[in-house]
Amino acid sequence: MSKLVKVTIDGRTVEVPAGTLVTDASRAAEVHVPIFCSHSKLPPLGACRICVVEVGMPKLDANRQPVMAADGTPEIAWMPKVQTGCTTTVADGMHVRTASNVATKARKGVMEFLLVNHPLDCPVCDEGGECQLQDLAFAFGHDHSRMDEAKRTFDSEDLGPIVKKEANRCIVCMRCVRYCDEVMGENALTAHQRGVHTEISSFDRQPLACEQCGNCVEVCPVGALTALPYRFKARPWDLRQHITICEWCPNGCSVRLGVRGMEILRARGTEFRGVNQEYLCVRGRFGHDFVNAADRLTAPLVRTGAALQPSTQEEAVTYAAARLRDIAATHGPDSIAFVGGEKLNVEEQFLFQKLARHVLGSTNVDARTRVAAAVSGSAVLRATGGGRPGLTFQGLYEAKEVLVLFEDLQGEAPLAQAAIVRGFRQRGLHVTVAHARRVKLARPKFKGDHLAVKPGAELALTLALTRAALDLGMPEAVPAEVSSALGALQGSLASWTGDKVQNETGVSAAAVAAAAKRMREAGAKALLFGRGVLEHAQAPALVQAIENLAWALGAITAEQSSVMAFGPHHDSAGALEIGLSHDTLPGHANAPKRGLSAREAIAAAAEGKVRALWIVSDDLIASAPDRALVEKAFEKCELVIVNELFLTRTAARAHVVFPVAAFAEKEGSVVNSERRLQKSNRALSPRKGARADWDVFQSVAQALGADWRYRTSEDVFREIARTVPGFAGLSYATLLPDGALLTGTPIAASIKAVEAAPLAGEGLALLSGGTLFADGSLSSRSATLAKLAGGVRARLAPAEASRLGLVAGDRVELTGPAGPAVFAVEIDDSVPAGAVFVPAAGAELNRLGVPSGGGLRVSARKSASAATVGA
Amino acid sequence: MSHGTVMPVDGPATLEWSEKAKAEVADALSRYPVKRSAVLPVLWIAQREWGWLSPAAMRLVAGSVGLPESEVFGVATFYTMFNLVPVGRHHLQLCMTLSCSLMGADRLYKHLQKKLGVSHGETTKDGRYTLRKVECLAACGKGPCMQVGFDYHENLDEAKVDALLEKLK
Amino acid sequence: MSRGPLLFKDIDTPGLTGLDVYKKQGGYEAVASSVGKKTPDEVIEIVKASGLRGRGGAGFPTGLKWSFVPKQSPKARYIVCNADESEPGTFKDRELMELNPHLLIEGMILAGFAIGSHQGYIYLRGEFEYVQRILDKAIAEARAAGILGDNVMGSGYAFQLYTHLGAGAYICGEETALLSSLEGYRGQPRLKPPFPAVEGLYASPTVVNNVETLMAVPHIVKNGGAWYRQWGNEKSPGTKVFSVSGPVKRPGNYEVPLGYSMKSLIENECGGMRDGLKLKAIIPGGSSVPMLPAADLDTPLDYESMNAKGTFLGSGGVIVIDDKTCIVDALWNVTRFYQHESCGKCTPCREGTYWMSEVLERLENGTGRDADIDLLADVADNILGKSFCALGDAAAMPVQGALKHFRAEFEHHVKHKTCLVNRRREEVAGVRA
Ligand SMILES: Cc1cc2nc3c(=O)[nH]c(=O)nc-3n(C[C@H](O)[C@H](O)[C@H](O)COP(=O)(O)O)c2cc1C
Ligand code: SF4
Ligand code: FES
Repeated sequence: MSKLVKVTIDGRTVEVPAGTLVTDASRAAEVHVPIFCSHSKLPPLGACRICVVEVGMPKLDANRQPVMAADGTPEIAWMPKVQTGCTTTVADGMHVRTASNVATKARKGVMEFLLVNHPLDCPVCDEGGECQLQDLAFAFGHDHSRMDEAKRTFDSEDLGPIVKKEANRCIVCMRCVRYCDEVMGENALTAHQRGVHTEISSFDRQPLACEQCGNCVEVCPVGALTALPYRFKARPWDLRQHITICEWCPNGCSVRLGVRGMEILRARGTEFRGVNQEYLCVRGRFGHDFVNAADRLTAPLVRTGAALQPSTQEEAVTYAAARLRDIAATHGPDSIAFVGGEKLNVEEQFLFQKLARHVLGSTNVDARTRVAAAVSGSAVLRATGGGRPGLTFQGLYEAKEVLVLFEDLQGEAPLAQAAIVRGFRQRGLHVTVAHARRVKLARPKFKGDHLAVKPGAELALTLALTRAALDLGMPEAVPAEVSSALGALQGSLASWTGDKVQNETGVSAAAVAAAAKRMREAGAKALLFGRGVLEHAQAPALVQAIENLAWALGAITAEQSSVMAFGPHHDSAGALEIGLSHDTLPGHANAPKRGLSAREAIAAAAEGKVRALWIVSDDLIASAPDRALVEKAFEKCELVIVNELFLTRTAARAHVVFPVAAFAEKEGSVVNSERRLQKSNRALSPRKGARADWDVFQSVAQALGADWRYRTSEDVFREIARTVPGFAGLSYATLLPDGALLTGTPIAASIKAVEAAPLAGEGLALLSGGTLFADGSLSSRSATLAKLAGGVRARLAPAEASRLGLVAGDRVELTGPAGPAVFAVEIDDSVPAGAVFVPAAGAELNRLGVPSGGGLRVSARKSASAATVGA
Repeated sequence: MSHGTVMPVDGPATLEWSEKAKAEVADALSRYPVKRSAVLPVLWIAQREWGWLSPAAMRLVAGSVGLPESEVFGVATFYTMFNLVPVGRHHLQLCMTLSCSLMGADRLYKHLQKKLGVSHGETTKDGRYTLRKVECLAACGKGPCMQVGFDYHENLDEAKVDALLEKLK
Repeated sequence: MSRGPLLFKDIDTPGLTGLDVYKKQGGYEAVASSVGKKTPDEVIEIVKASGLRGRGGAGFPTGLKWSFVPKQSPKARYIVCNADESEPGTFKDRELMELNPHLLIEGMILAGFAIGSHQGYIYLRGEFEYVQRILDKAIAEARAAGILGDNVMGSGYAFQLYTHLGAGAYICGEETALLSSLEGYRGQPRLKPPFPAVEGLYASPTVVNNVETLMAVPHIVKNGGAWYRQWGNEKSPGTKVFSVSGPVKRPGNYEVPLGYSMKSLIENECGGMRDGLKLKAIIPGGSSVPMLPAADLDTPLDYESMNAKGTFLGSGGVIVIDDKTCIVDALWNVTRFYQHESCGKCTPCREGTYWMSEVLERLENGTGRDADIDLLADVADNILGKSFCALGDAAAMPVQGALKHFRAEFEHHVKHKTCLVNRRREEVAGVRA
């Protein structure tokens, strides 16, 4: 904490840390100083000059004592010129006048200048009503304009499908350009020309080739940049604004939804709140239109004979409860499995497992459905140093060294990527990306290191990194049992040096050693992994190897953890905390009896051992790794219950379908990848016929005779706070505004040696994962995202494509052990030769076969077929 | 005489450096500890190669100095001496700032306008001359003055301009 | 015939751009006698003692500026020569470099040595391509002769020097904009503090000096600080090159001691006004400074005397305006220059210069209104001291100067819709829009 200094602003004295900007100190003193160009995530610029103030210091006499005025107050030596508050840092004893004649004249002058070339077209501007220029003109402007000469004008233009530019309104604050550069690392926007002709645009006015995040629109203080998807849809005062948590990824950004009637018209950031503040990625900002989709389910469906028929809620609940009771009675409670739930909120997750464990007595609950090889909940908790104070996004931004293991953050944790980009641009952060593809953060522009691991050799590389870390000696602050375990581990890693590293992983031993050294030596560090690990064919061994590595790098210590894991969904972390896992109970405790994991349950169902499946919000047919197994399970199961928004392929196979509320239609709390528990709010009523999942669970539980009496999700939360360790003392009230970081008892390490198995066989290595525009099953339900994605394509390195005789737009048939699928081709030089990348988004990669060992290999050939998957 | 917004027109789809230019680019890069510093010298090399900076040329420059294309675009359009549209064989840049104006620059501009049939920023149909009004060239003591390409022509009057145009043909 | 006491003394010597002739004149003796022989601090002390003030416009004491460079910085340090010479009315650096490139190189070596820099850049305005060729040739010659390079004249001190060509932007003469431009950014100024001496080129300690300043250094280092004070006066010691332009008989560069009479400069050196014209106003320091009326012609040419008259010595670009020139027209010309050259970064300068040009156009064309004169004054006042860098001030000050001394001409324009006088009215009509 830096030293506190006293400043007096318009007569109000406040104490702020040394180095605070006058504008921020003014906020603390509750004196309003307007700003346009300055932004909390960007370095001071001082360009717009709207924040001009008078600044002075006490006059000192020859003995450096303050000179006192007649009234006993110190005399102030005011600086001859006004100063910009956004670039001036406070000094002890400083005086600031924001409303003196001099300051006011200067500010009015700036205001008038800003309007010299501004079109004053507020009535047709989307920013109208929430425009900072409009507000200030109202507060400071003259009552008439002294400027009646011709204004210089620009043409308006669409910079691609998202951003509309109306340059005449631009005040050249450069926020958009700087944000695009310093936070997004995109450099899509630039100022061109100069002087009064300065215009914000892209290279040669081409459509923006970028993440389409729309943050430029967000930070624009005027209506120069507006969002095409929202254009002319509403006036801001027509919208109800609700702050809730985005459901697109595990970062847990706060999002302000603008709702009119039953429709979400837009999403914005939250300025001074949340882990993200103004930041949102393209999905968070433009992807929520799936909630408005016309094809949402509006009534429960119950199978009668071959067809699913709409039914009343009562009928569906009664039917489901009766069938569950029968099956449990006949085949035992463990013949029922509860699958999925990472998209549920914590209260719903809690009730889902409670329904399973306490009402029906089944041990088979597991949220993680996409895994080819199930990882236990406890293993993930251990690998992330669960229970310890963990890494936050702020900590990530402040880290000196970041190691990203096998994850494309752009597609799966965009806020984390933005924190790294900004840390790199502003704080000298260095990033090492271990990934088969040259993902965004591995581009030369971020001056990091790319460990271009051979597809399938992820485990091998992790072992090599661990060995290199242990070669540096024991990390500091490790408990004795960990250091002895690490010592024992060292032996098992003896062979991971030199040529073996190069041959097995494709990365030189020197690069591996350097990466390990950087991580070990960095004070503030971060180790990140995600679905690339959790859904890896060797996930159990890989997660164990990462736990070993994290300790060896000092990323987990007795005291704290610098490891962050990104699950596939916005409440994946909640599922772990709340025991929606076959081997852990709410609050991390081991389950007394280990149940079946989701994957095991499906296999058991295919064998007829499990007879009923309750699946929540997961289109298993498209996304479970073994499609054939899922099909077989569905054939065999006596009862399949599905909670869904849409009639997915999986829902279409169910016996009972409960239409459920979307995230914005219900209240609850969710846990992000920082393990931050945040309140998620209801922004609009559920779609007709849809109910919150917890309400469905309660109805069925009651029909099964349970004495559940939750009126609201808050009731459920009270029970969680009462009964689950780690949630003690929390209430909805304590979650505002920034949520609560969950801690608990540090989970003990369990360091064990694991063996690497290479990706055997012939053909192209199949790579997959989420991408920004195409991710999971929802992105295709968002009109905006679907348009941006333009279908799911197979991406090939230029060399690979030409070897196969393919050009962009051709079709390629990929064939795996289970069969073929045809995709449109995209040429992508970030994909290594010898591999093919297909986004995990409605692509039904599970038609090809089940990844095993290091993954899956497929053969590829040019296809004449016009039909493709996921187009 | 406002600078105005000049946008590049379409040019060739892609361009490649000649061998000579490649060596010049390498030399320019070697002069700075930071690559991006070479963006002006390399833009100059491109302008010398092709006479003007087409989008393709700017893309090539971006690759050579390791900058995003957008930044090169922002830089190239900031300065007035980079031609964002093709110019004639002789680029007549007549100084119009005070000292030259006091000595008759405005009269000369009208003379050139009439003689060539083009105005500020325009190129004669035969592609021979582009006429441009520019700001102070640091030749104030010898005004009116004009740069043709990089060559200074000073103490001009109508007769000298006529003779010069005759010579340049 | 010698054209000046110091920098211009032998400047017309044939072949001076060549190393041999330069050396024959005593060139590089200052380097030989001080680099590796004196300490950097001793060199700084000599320059401090001379009282040399920056010739780029601001007149900041050069030795003091050098002493701000942190001695212990682990970063590389840079010396940068500001050869952007783009202040209207100024053309001295161009002639100095064209005729005596080695003197600049020698000054750069000495400045570099004094501040502990091993790399220097000469930032030339884009139009000076031919000057760049002259300098590059001289640099190559000096490098071949071991004067530049890893071991400057056997002293063990290493110094590399490069030229860098701008591309048309007045703002790049402002030192922080120059550094942005040199780094490959748009040439826009940066926040001060940190000042370049602490965080300049590549965020490393950097000194930026004008060509003329650096060219005085070898003479000073060779002959001592006191010697330099034989010219000029206590606060403005030394000589200064004045570029005189406008309708005088012999416009051109003249080197005179500081404190020299402006009147004699115009009447003697320049031969007075062209036939039939009388001097009406004079801009003493480049177009950025307020003009003075003819009555102030006998003001001494030094920093303090000019300040006392409400104007500045600036870059020494003396522009003479005759009695048949309309001040409104002349001011409109100057204001358009600043509008054209405003970088666009800050609001007052970007919008204010545009607005002032529009108002002046209206006044000049006879469509001005009563309120326009006060409006113009108020717009200038709203720019002055509120812009990000001094370009805004440079645009506002000429307006204030013109209104202060020649308000009657503006009023005449409003009332009679035409100029009080303008020998050029026909010439300029319609050319400007
Ligand atoms: C708008 C503007 C333009 C300037 N142009 C020049 C210039 O062309 N040449 C120059 O030497 N200094 C110029 N300066 C002054 C420089 O910023 C800087 O003060 C000078 O180069 C320092 O060198 P000196 O101390 O040797 O004078 C300019 C300043 C401003 C504000
Ligand atoms: S477009 Fe908006 S955000 Fe960008 S510079 Fe202009 S006013 Fe600022
Ligand atoms: S907010 Fe301070 S100058 Fe723009």
